[in-house]
Amino acid sequence: MEQAMQAVQDSLRNAESVATAYDSIWGGTSPAAAPSPLEQVMLSNDKLFVVLVVVLIIWFGVIFFLLRTDRKISGLERSIEDRIYEQDDEL
Amino acid sequence: MIVWLSVVILAGFLLNVPRINILEHTARNLYFHVPMWFTMMAAVFVSAFHSLKFLQTGELIRDIRATQAARVGAWFGVMGLVTGIFWARFTWYAGTKVWWNFDPRQTMAALQILIYGAYFVLRSALHDPDKRARIAAVYNLFAASTVPFLLYVIPRQMESLHPGADGNPAFSEITAPIMRLVFYPAIIGFIGLFWVLYTQRVRVAWIKLRLTRDPEL
Repeated sequence: MEQAMQAVQDSLRNAESVATAYDSIWGGTSPAAAPSPLEQVMLSNDKLFVVLVVVLIIWFGVIFFLLRTDRKISGLERSIEDRIYEQDDEL
Repeated sequence: MIVWLSVVILAGFLLNVPRINILEHTARNLYFHVPMWFTMMAAVFVSAFHSLKFLQTGELIRDIRATQAARVGAWFGVMGLVTGIFWARFTWYAGTKVWWNFDPRQTMAALQILIYGAYFVLRSALHDPDKRARIAAVYNLFAASTVPFLLYVIPRQMESLHPGADGNPAFSEITAPIMRLVFYPAIIGFIGLFWVLYTQRVRVAWIKLRLTRDPEL
């Protein structure tokens, strides 16, 4: 608890453009290698696209799961049709 | 439920978040990545509950409910893992080519998903519905009992980037109030999504049981 409060107070003291008590500015070293093209896109706009990718992963994941369930339903519909078809044959 | 989650997603993007170094906007992933795990834990609880009930009553519908809860829960776990990988790759590991860093919580979560994967493999190896249900129910209870240790106790003891771990302030100490406003509804929304998918699959499995006497979906 004290660690967190200390960190918040430190960042307030070092603040130049922080708006709230939770904001902070990175005082450490930057990454060594130059960013690849993919990274450049992802890191732009304050890394907003990373959030987009995460939401899309969840979105497509849910869609994929729904489609799988749908395929099971189609299989069951087919076996119902087969069953009715077979019963008709017995007449 | 659809409306609820839509509002959560909108709020997740539109409301302000505190700007933290390294994270910046990706702090919003709190609303998406973390609820995946809360949902998986809810799914594990539901699954274990129905497995226990099956062992007590022997009704096959309980086995269906346990299996489908495990399936949907495992899928939410996979989504949680993949979202975590992407989140980390472009924030803390930007500039490196690291996709997986053997973070304790990450590794334990992958291990947990493998344990549930083994549950499904076990089910596919047995063919008689009653025998399969009984053996699978016992394994499910064992798998569910490992969840608190692998996902909660161990990651908190080891050094990790995840909140709550050794050397990192726990979640409640560092969360801005506005983030709680979206975070808690997000958890409720995603558990609601799990419930919709889960009950849908239970209904399909029940139909399959009535048609073919084998409910395995």
